[in-house]
Amino acid sequence: MFDFKKKEAFRSREKQNKQAGGNGLDVFDFSGDTAISVRDVDLYYGNFQALKKISMDIPKHQITAMIGPSGCGKSTLLKTLNRMNDLVEGCRVEGEIVIGGKDIYAKDMDLSALRKNVGMVFQKPNPFPMSVYDNICYAPRTFGIRAKGALDEIVERSLKQAAMWDELKDRLNKSALGLSGGQQQRLCIARALAVQPEIILMDEPTSALDPISTGKIEELCLSLRDDVTIVIVTHNMQQAARIADRTAFFLLGEMVEYGDTEQVFSAPKDKRCEDYITGRFG
Amino acid sequence: MIKVNKTKVQDTSAKYLFILCACLSVVAVFGIIGYILYGSIPAFREVGVFEFLFGDVWAMPTDTYGILPMILSTLVVTVMAVILGGVVGVFTAIFMVYWCPDKFHLRYKGKVKFLAKCVEWINKINLRTIFDQVIKLLAGIPSVIYGYFGMQIIVHNLATVDPDYRGYGALSTCIVLAIMIIPTVTSLTKNALEAVPEQYYEGSLAMGNTKAQSVFNVLVPAARSGIISALILGIGRAVGETMAVQMVSGGTANFPTGLFVPIRTLTTNIVAEMGEVQIGSLHESALIATGLVLLVIVLIINLSINLVPKEFKGKRGKKVLKGDKEAVIRFEKKGLIPEILKYFAMVCAALVVFALAAVILFILINGIPHLSAAFLFGTEPPSLVPAFITTGYMILFTLIIALPLGIGAAIYFVEYAKPGSKFVKVLRTFTDTLAGVPSIVFGLFGYLFFRPMFGHYSVLAGAFTMVLVVLPTIIRSTEESLIAVPMTWREASYGLGAGKVRTIFRVVLPSAFPGIATASVLAIGRIVSESAALVYTAGMVLVGTSTVAGAVNPVNPGSTLTVFMYSFFAEGLGFEEAYATAVVLLAITFLLNLIVFFIEKSVKKKR
Repeated sequence: MFDFKKKEAFRSREKQNKQAGGNGLDVFDFSGDTAISVRDVDLYYGNFQALKKISMDIPKHQITAMIGPSGCGKSTLLKTLNRMNDLVEGCRVEGEIVIGGKDIYAKDMDLSALRKNVGMVFQKPNPFPMSVYDNICYAPRTFGIRAKGALDEIVERSLKQAAMWDELKDRLNKSALGLSGGQQQRLCIARALAVQPEIILMDEPTSALDPISTGKIEELCLSLRDDVTIVIVTHNMQQAARIADRTAFFLLGEMVEYGDTEQVFSAPKDKRCEDYITGRFG
Repeated sequence: MIKVNKTKVQDTSAKYLFILCACLSVVAVFGIIGYILYGSIPAFREVGVFEFLFGDVWAMPTDTYGILPMILSTLVVTVMAVILGGVVGVFTAIFMVYWCPDKFHLRYKGKVKFLAKCVEWINKINLRTIFDQVIKLLAGIPSVIYGYFGMQIIVHNLATVDPDYRGYGALSTCIVLAIMIIPTVTSLTKNALEAVPEQYYEGSLAMGNTKAQSVFNVLVPAARSGIISALILGIGRAVGETMAVQMVSGGTANFPTGLFVPIRTLTTNIVAEMGEVQIGSLHESALIATGLVLLVIVLIINLSINLVPKEFKGKRGKKVLKGDKEAVIRFEKKGLIPEILKYFAMVCAALVVFALAAVILFILINGIPHLSAAFLFGTEPPSLVPAFITTGYMILFTLIIALPLGIGAAIYFVEYAKPGSKFVKVLRTFTDTLAGVPSIVFGLFGYLFFRPMFGHYSVLAGAFTMVLVVLPTIIRSTEESLIAVPMTWREASYGLGAGKVRTIFRVVLPSAFPGIATASVLAIGRIVSESAALVYTAGMVLVGTSTVAGAVNPVNPGSTLTVFMYSFFAEGLGFEEAYATAVVLLAITFLLNLIVFFIEKSVKKKR
């Protein structure tokens, strides 16, 4: 109960809040070209090492894809980027992940601030059992926005940004669970956009969807590129080739190859990467 | 010569037998409603329906019977109890599901080996299981014990603030009822919360919510239909509670105009006067009519559960956005209220543990000094031996009848019924209805239907009544264990050429045995703790005249342990022996809970 370390972390967070103008959320500085910089990251689940010395820079306002066979660590790495791995018991991260000039694994990192700026879309669409409107308003409301005018504005803007405005403007009061799977997933993207994140992480967002919905989500990703940085984990190599600017290939917890998508798919430097892409295994 | 296919005949006849068992709930519900309706006709005819419901005087000497004060008292006390107990119950469940730590994390660095061992031992305790058991124990304690606790502790302490220095009345009743509905509300809310998909939690965290924000803004609202159902069942329980209310409410039929006004509820009206009633009189009919009103209220409450929408269907109307282009959108860190609610949940959980500890300590401190060999095993009254014998008979006869019927019905539901068919839905609704009938109404039915079979109060009449009381419990938990038997085992048995009956009796039932054992133990718990359904069926033998010789014949009237304990209050005797009885009852309740716990644990290990 009397955890002094926690107290210290709390104090330094307070200080940051004051420096950042008091709202405690805009502690990140995204003016540089690199959105995320991963340095020598090792990750362990208990005794099992799931990530081995990963280092990569993810550029701003581009789409970065992570590919590789199941269990290669790509989803694990994605989850470390907004610290969703904290939920997993026995998970330990070593190394440094810098986002917007801050080490996100530092003791005084505020998870709310981090996750507000680094949103996430999951494999299975997970809209809340609320109306479409309330789903989008959910995060803004928890961040203190109450005025109706402002909320309405956010909903309209997010839905337009997610290219769903025409489909949904007449059914804002309907349950989000009544939408189709593809619509649910795009709603989740709209929901993540509502708090204006800088980065959106997508964990195999189309693996539960049909080809048409998948196409819509890919289009959406491309149109969002000017506003947000997207990191997408995908099982589908064609998808990575279609939308990603840069692609990273993972195998058994190691990052085997990372470069411009064209180069990775047309002239992979590593033999293992080539084998995977040409379909010799995986 | 016609060849008869033996297996086929067996299968068909067995099927109809099981259907018959399943239909018994329907018969029972109609029987109860019919008999009580029939019994209350004279009252409605002589007094008039309107005058009976809205009259404000209840006076036996002048044959004036109006129950408006009792209806209002029942409603007011119930609402207050549900607000109090409901809030504590729901928040306790929230604590249990989201914040209760698995284990203690104590550290000991000293060198005393014994202490180190102790700490190690304490750290091994699984807190969640313990908490679960606390709730189950609270649910299993007989209501008579709550009555004594309320009378001695709550009423006694409230008397200091009561202007008339009595303490009996609306407030005491509401507190006792609140404690009694907490286990129901908590365990059902817990089930509802555990059923909320994990993805909602992840989704909310990923948007920058804290744990407390996620819990109170997403997860609890997502479980709302289950929580509302839990509260409705709590209301049903509070409306139907009899014995504990009888002991703390004060008993006069006043309008509930203040916290300390002595009141009389519908249930206590029946239990207070049924003993002195003249058979066939208008008075008797008026009491039965009270039971009818009570039954109708409870049925309406319990059936309203079906109106709670299972999932969110969207809001009404169309939303038109009036976006304010100029609006300043400035995100800030919030989340104080969920943090406060989190601590409130912890306080509620602590309160529940405190309540259980208080009840148990109260009984042990008052009861243990009066536990003597002569009282426990002697033959001279006051002695517990006759009550032990009667309780034993009660369990024996009830289970002999109820187990086959209940298992048969469960087999029908799981093995034969087409899921989702109308017929099954009706049967299920009736089983649930039967489960919600207040025990005093069962008592009235037994009084009208089973007691006349023997011409007087009789343990057998009580046992027949108890069959109806425990039937829904047995059906429900047997059903669960049957469902848990893997489908592939049945297929394997059919594949070897066995018929349906053979499959059920040789494959399904044996592997469902632990579940059936649990069902029986739960039923025994219910029988041991029941009092309101027994007082006017099995009767209440005066403490001074209860002898072993009288108790040995099950046709005679007899008091089970709970009724025996209640009779000290009813006869206005000293409470020493009542507390001693309570210790025994508590020990039995604890033992039964322990048995259920170990059966369930062994089942879990096997799977």
